[in-house]
Amino acid sequence: MKIQQRLEAVSEKLLPNRKNARIMWMASLAFSVGLALLPWLIKLDGKPHADWQQFLGRFHPLVVHLPVAFLLLVPVLEIVGAFRPALREAAGFVLALAFASAVLALTLGILLAYGSGNAGSLVTRHMAGGIALTIGLLLSSLARPWWIERSVPIFYPALLACMVPLLFWTADQGGSITHGSNYLTAYMPASLKRLTLLSTKTPPSSFYAMHINPIFDSNCATCHGAAKSNGGLRLDSFDLVMKGGKDGPVIIAGDPDKSLLLHRVTLPPDHKQFMPAEGRPPLRPEEITWIKAWIQQGASPTATTLAGISTGDERPEVPPQPVADYSALMPEIRQMQQTQGAKLIPVSSKPEDGLILFTVDAASGFGDAQLAQFQKFAPFIVEAELGRTAVTNASFDTLKQFTHLRALHLEETHVTGDGLAKLTSLSQLTYVNLSGTQVTEESVRPLSSMKNLRHLYLYNTPAQPAAIAQPTQPIARSTP
Amino acid sequence: MNLPVPSELKREWATLQTRRHFLGRTGKVLGWAAIASLLGDRALRGDTRATSNGQPGSQSGERLRLPQFAPKAKRAIYLFMSGGPSQVDLLDYKPHLTDLYDKDIPDSVRGSQQLTGMTAGQARFPIAPAHWGFKRYGKTGTWVSDLLPYTGRIVDDLAIIKSTNTEAINHEPAIMLMNTGNMNAGKPCLGSWLSYGLGSMNDNLPTFMVLQSKLNTKENNQPVSSRLWSSGFLSSEYAGVGLRSAGDPVLYLTDPSGVDREVRRNMLDAVNEINRQTFDELGDPETHARIAQYEMAYRMQTSVPELADLSKEPKSTWDLYGDEAKEPGTFAYNCLMARRMAERGVRFTQVYKRGWDMHDNVTGILPIICQETDRGCYALVTDLKQRGLLDDTLVIWAGEFGRTVYSQGGLSKENYGRDHHPRCFTTWMTGGGVHTGITYGETDDYSYNVVKDPVTVRDFNATILHCLGIDHNKLTYNFQGLDQKLTGPVPASVVKGLLA
Repeated sequence: MKIQQRLEAVSEKLLPNRKNARIMWMASLAFSVGLALLPWLIKLDGKPHADWQQFLGRFHPLVVHLPVAFLLLVPVLEIVGAFRPALREAAGFVLALAFASAVLALTLGILLAYGSGNAGSLVTRHMAGGIALTIGLLLSSLARPWWIERSVPIFYPALLACMVPLLFWTADQGGSITHGSNYLTAYMPASLKRLTLLSTKTPPSSFYAMHINPIFDSNCATCHGAAKSNGGLRLDSFDLVMKGGKDGPVIIAGDPDKSLLLHRVTLPPDHKQFMPAEGRPPLRPEEITWIKAWIQQGASPTATTLAGISTGDERPEVPPQPVADYSALMPEIRQMQQTQGAKLIPVSSKPEDGLILFTVDAASGFGDAQLAQFQKFAPFIVEAELGRTAVTNASFDTLKQFTHLRALHLEETHVTGDGLAKLTSLSQLTYVNLSGTQVTEESVRPLSSMKNLRHLYLYNTPAQPAAIAQPTQPIARSTP
Repeated sequence: MNLPVPSELKREWATLQTRRHFLGRTGKVLGWAAIASLLGDRALRGDTRATSNGQPGSQSGERLRLPQFAPKAKRAIYLFMSGGPSQVDLLDYKPHLTDLYDKDIPDSVRGSQQLTGMTAGQARFPIAPAHWGFKRYGKTGTWVSDLLPYTGRIVDDLAIIKSTNTEAINHEPAIMLMNTGNMNAGKPCLGSWLSYGLGSMNDNLPTFMVLQSKLNTKENNQPVSSRLWSSGFLSSEYAGVGLRSAGDPVLYLTDPSGVDREVRRNMLDAVNEINRQTFDELGDPETHARIAQYEMAYRMQTSVPELADLSKEPKSTWDLYGDEAKEPGTFAYNCLMARRMAERGVRFTQVYKRGWDMHDNVTGILPIICQETDRGCYALVTDLKQRGLLDDTLVIWAGEFGRTVYSQGGLSKENYGRDHHPRCFTTWMTGGGVHTGITYGETDDYSYNVVKDPVTVRDFNATILHCLGIDHNKLTYNFQGLDQKLTGPVPASVVKGLLA
């Protein structure tokens, strides 16, 4: 068998007691040094290079699993080989395969990193691991015959023992590049995490990062932070919050009543154990509601929303939907201005930005009938400034046809809110101002179903009475 | 009639006449678009110096094709702190200066730039640390002087700019530069550019209004003059209209007894007719501006009394602004008026407060002027916010320069003076288009030089225009052979870090 012969020839060459053993070692060492210098020879500059490099490079994730499997197979074969010698013979061959496939995987990996402009500490570490493993495999191939002959019995097993954990580490770095760095630990139970002291990743869009951490940061971290950690408690990272203080955990996920932190901030402010201590202002009611709901719903570091909790600002800005070109209607639009006293003014020079309806000139002379005249321009109107006009609830029927309406001003009008539900079909509406009207909490409730409504103003209405007198002494958060 | 009309004006008139006839009288036949393509962009850009035929500037936004992009702010309120507020004592917190009391400011910091004649001859430049404590406010934990406790309450809504800097070192050029983009008088101010570029939202009130706060004679009041709200080479209908700080907001606005609305109207029609004849003879476009202003004044006879009638303000207003706001001419009153103008669609309101110039007796005067202005600023921002107006109103707080960290004249633990300091001063913005809850730019340990993210006056104004949907390079007016603009010929850039 030709292949058999050739393989024998290859493995014979690797035997150290042959004449060319010295040359083999020299060549291998030179090759290893060359590999070790690779990171300095090929600078990962973070810029994409040739397409062919990327094309070939993308086979790296495929090929890389070959040396992984071969390398893991070697110790298995060596151990089982003690009982079935045929398997030990195979181990040398598998080791050679592992080295060959490692060289290929390494080459492709470097092509991928360099070609795609991938850089950063993860990539650098993964590459370093790959190089070290390749060198390790080469040295193992050379050291194995010594082990077989018992001349240097310890080097080869030691190498293998080092390479296996190194392999896991390198593979983890690689996995983090493709799947994200908390891929493995994201769903690890919290108790296990505490044991392993892994720091939990809290994505910046999570409810914890957006709302809970800022509360701790501005109210608690001066005494429970890196500088001072009263009661052994630090609240400046998720893990430290979950770890608790010297009296044990302060947050029991899913159980607000047993969570010491919530208990302390909800005590009466004059209580000895009340937090924040030293006369600092108490947490705001909505802040307490958020903390409570967050604990109740599992104290998750990653969840982005909590059931039943609306913070107002988590709704992403809807990209405005362009309106159709109204240029052809300009003469009629000007005509309207003459007859109705209200103006349609372009938002900008781009027709797709729509028109604003200004009624301030007509003010009290502008009522439901006048608004109805503008129905024809309904799809082009993105903002209706109807503040201080005579419009009433009857106008909601007209307004619901303003399909592109983004902002609606009804402040100090006679609307009472009956029929506001008709506006819920306006999917673009993000701003409604009902200040100074007679709307009630009941009558504005239908608006809460509108996903895109970000700004609802109810100042000085039965729904939200004007603020009572402000305290004349300002509350400062902390003194120098 | 054979009047001595300069030949230059006659020539200009001739071109205007043909253009105006063409636009005005045959427009219906040909259609606007056709004319525009025949004449090119020049007529549309408005460089004929013509106004909109006696109409107020409501159409100019359309004529100029402005705003160029959908603006975040529709209107702006500019609280102008004339005299140069002391950044060191108010918003630019430098705790380490306390240890350097009466030490000379290092030459390496002071550099070799020109000082004013008032301190250039001083043998020493001893450091005067802020006399007042600072506290951290809000979620942002921003340091604010104990002199501004109310401002402290709104810091989370502000973008505080510590790195504003100017080229001018004396009041008049500096205040002109802030307002018109040029140290020399004669250029249109920010409000006039906005008025010209964006036009009016309310035809019954001026597009650009100016409110001056009452003088406090304890303070060193540098003069402000109508040059600051002048329209320069733009038609004078774009100039700011001032409301008086005491008595009638506008003089002679009420009809004399025995003259009713109808008589007034008849009289105006007659005057307008005469004015139109004058225009036909002389062709001075300012005549049109005059007609427009007569008409505006007529409409203001009803709109201004309504604007200034505070009797319907709820009690919560006075709780917020304080009882001081009931007295016309106080800063707090002007802030309340600014809110009312914003509600009524006034495009640009500028409130002037004089008295920030403190060459001596800082500890005597600064608390007084802070007390006069602090609550008004807080109340205005809070009020706009609760009424849903802050979403599309830009609010600006700025003076013309800052003050030196070293003392002018004698320094003691109790008192010191501060000279003009153009190299850094602190300003703030909030509202439509502004990234709030931030501090932008940094100064060195002495609040002397900007060390990070400098904001020049040009950049400052370019950013304001941007918030209102205007590319500062494209709002131009051809005058004296140049495409003039607010930010001037030196390149300016919008400060991206200040934008929401």
